[in-house]
Amino acid sequence: MSSRAERIDWSQLWYPGPKHVFSEAELDRAGRDLPSRTLVAVLLANIALMAMALLQAAPPELTARLTALLAGLVAAGMTQGLALWKRPTRSGLAKRGALLVGLFWLLYFGISLRLTDPVQRRWIVSLCAGGLFLVNIGLWFVVSFRAHQIESRLRERDEHDRALAMAHQLAAAQIQPHFLFNSLAALQHWVQVKDDRAAPLLDALTGFLRATLPLFDQRLLRLGDEAEAAQRYLAVMRLRLGERLRAQVQIDPAAADTLIPPGVLLTLVENAVEHGVQPSLHGAEVAVTARRQGQVLTIEVSDTGVGLPASAGASEGVGLANSRTRLQQAFGPAASLSLQPGPSGGCLARVHIPLQT
Amino acid sequence: MNPLTALIADDEEAPRAQLRAALAKAWPELGVVAECVNGVDAWDAFLEHEPAVCFLDIRMPGLSGIEVAQRIDGRVPVVFVTAHGDHALAAFDAGAVDYVLKPVDPERLGQAVARARARLAQPGPAAAQAPGVAELLARLAAEVGHQARRPAALEVIQAGVGKEVRLIRIDEVIYFESDARYTRVVHEGGEALIRTPLKELLAQLDAQRFWQVHRSVIVNHRHISAAVRVDEGNMHLTLRDRPEKLPVSRHFQGLFKGQ
Repeated sequence: MSSRAERIDWSQLWYPGPKHVFSEAELDRAGRDLPSRTLVAVLLANIALMAMALLQAAPPELTARLTALLAGLVAAGMTQGLALWKRPTRSGLAKRGALLVGLFWLLYFGISLRLTDPVQRRWIVSLCAGGLFLVNIGLWFVVSFRAHQIESRLRERDEHDRALAMAHQLAAAQIQPHFLFNSLAALQHWVQVKDDRAAPLLDALTGFLRATLPLFDQRLLRLGDEAEAAQRYLAVMRLRLGERLRAQVQIDPAAADTLIPPGVLLTLVENAVEHGVQPSLHGAEVAVTARRQGQVLTIEVSDTGVGLPASAGASEGVGLANSRTRLQQAFGPAASLSLQPGPSGGCLARVHIPLQT
Repeated sequence: MNPLTALIADDEEAPRAQLRAALAKAWPELGVVAECVNGVDAWDAFLEHEPAVCFLDIRMPGLSGIEVAQRIDGRVPVVFVTAHGDHALAAFDAGAVDYVLKPVDPERLGQAVARARARLAQPGPAAAQAPGVAELLARLAAEVGHQARRPAALEVIQAGVGKEVRLIRIDEVIYFESDARYTRVVHEGGEALIRTPLKELLAQLDAQRFWQVHRSVIVNHRHISAAVRVDEGNMHLTLRDRPEKLPVSRHFQGLFKGQ
C-alpha cells in the first residue's frame, strides 16, 4: 500500500487534475449542488479589492482598458469555473487551459503590440499574463476541490447506506417473528388450560424482550448482559421444547465484563437452537462458554444437533456475516468468527477476539 | 378410509394441544387418530392410518410439513398450521392445501374446516380438482427450505454384526425393510440389522435413488427389475439379484405406470 501511495504520478505535470471521471449516477448522488452563496460572495469581494488596488497603481490613462480586461477575465473565470464545478474533469481543465494560453497570445498580438508606450505595454502584458495565470490556477483549484468534495460525499453516503442496511438487518434479526408467534401460541394455550408453565414462560419471554429491545441501540455491550438475554431466550425455548433442548451457559467472571458488539452471542445461540436443535429428531444439547485468557476473549457456542450442511460455506446466513463484520469493525481484522463441525457431531461456533489494550 | 379422521403434526406440545382443543370445537365429529411430533412420524402415521385430513406444522424435524404434503400429493386435504406467514402461503387460499396461522384463531380455523369438509364431500382425490398445487408446494419448499438445516445425506451405514461394526456404503444397499424394532438392510454383500427406524432413514436418503414403495420398504431403484400387478389392488416388485418379492402398497403404485 505504501509503495502505491509514494509513487509519483508524473502525468499530473502535463495533464493535471483528478483521474476519476464521475458518472451521471455519481453526480446525481453527490454532485448536483451549486457553489454556496458565501463562497461566491467572498470570491467576488476579493477580486474587487484586488482590482481596486491594481487600478490605483496603474497609470490613469489605462483605467478604462484595464477595467474592461479585468471584467473579461473575471467573467471568463467565473463561467468556466462554474462549468468545471458541475463536471470536475481533467480533460475539461486541460481544454480550458489550452484556450487560456490561446487567449493570452491573441491579446498579446491584438492589443499590446499596437501600444507604443512601453509602460502601458508592460502593464497590459503583465496583467494579461498574471490574470490568465491566476484564472488557470483558480480553475485547477476548483476541479481539485470539487472532485475531492464529491468523492468524500460519495464515500460518506456509501458508509451511511451500509450502516442503514446493517441496522435494518439487525432490527429484523433481533426478534424473529417465528420465535415470537410460536412463543405466544404456547403461552396462549397454557393460559387457556391453566397450565403451570404459563407463568414461567411469560416471565422468560418478558425478560427476553426487555433485554433484547435496547440491545441494539448500543455500540458495545457487556458480554455478561448479553449472556443474560441469551439465558432468557434459552429459558423460553426450554419451556417450549421440553426435553428436546438441554442447555448450559458458562461465562467466566473475567470474560463477563468484556465489551463486545451487541447481538453476536445471541445470534449464535439462536442459530444453535433453530438450526441445530429444532431440526433434530431427538433433540440436542447447547453449550455456551466464554473465557478470557490475558488479552484474548474466546466465546464458543456448540450444539449436538443435525450439524452443518454438506455445502457449509455457501449457506451461512445474514446473521453470521453481519456479526463477523461488526466484530472486525470493533476489534480489527484479527477478530474472527468460525463455524465448524462439533467434536461429537453438531456444530461448533467460535468467536476469537484479541483485545487491544 | 374413515371419512372423519385427522392427523395432527407439530413438533411442540403446546400448539399441538391447542390445535386439538380448537378442532374439538370447530369439527366435533372429527377423530384425531395420530398426533405426531415430527415430519417422519407424520408421514409414517399417514401411511398407517390413512386419515381423511392432515393438519401439519411447516417447520418440523426430519421432514418439513411441506415435504409431507408433497408426499401426500393431494390424496387428502392438508392444512398447514404455521407461526409465520411465509409469502408463498398466501397462494393457497382454497385449494387442496390450506393454511392457518398460529396462535390459532378459531374463526380462521372454522373457515379451513368448512373448506376441508366441502372438499371431502366431493368425489375423487383432492388433487384432481386443484391443479398447480404441486408447483405451489415446490415454491413454498424453496422459500422455507433455505432457512432450514437438515441432516446430512447418509453416505455410510454402520451396522453391528456380532463383535464387529460393518460399514455399508449407501449405494451398495438393495433395500431397507422395517423389522419390529430394527431395520433390515439388505445389501450387495449380505444383510444387517440397524437400530435406526425406517421412517427416520427416509429423511436422510436421496429420494431420487431410494424409492419408498411401502410403509415398511424402501428400495434402491437400480435393483428393481419389474413391477408386477397381481390383481386390482396388489402389486409387487421383483429384484435383479435377489429372489424375494417386495410389496408395493396402494399409495405407491403410481410410481410404476408403464408408458
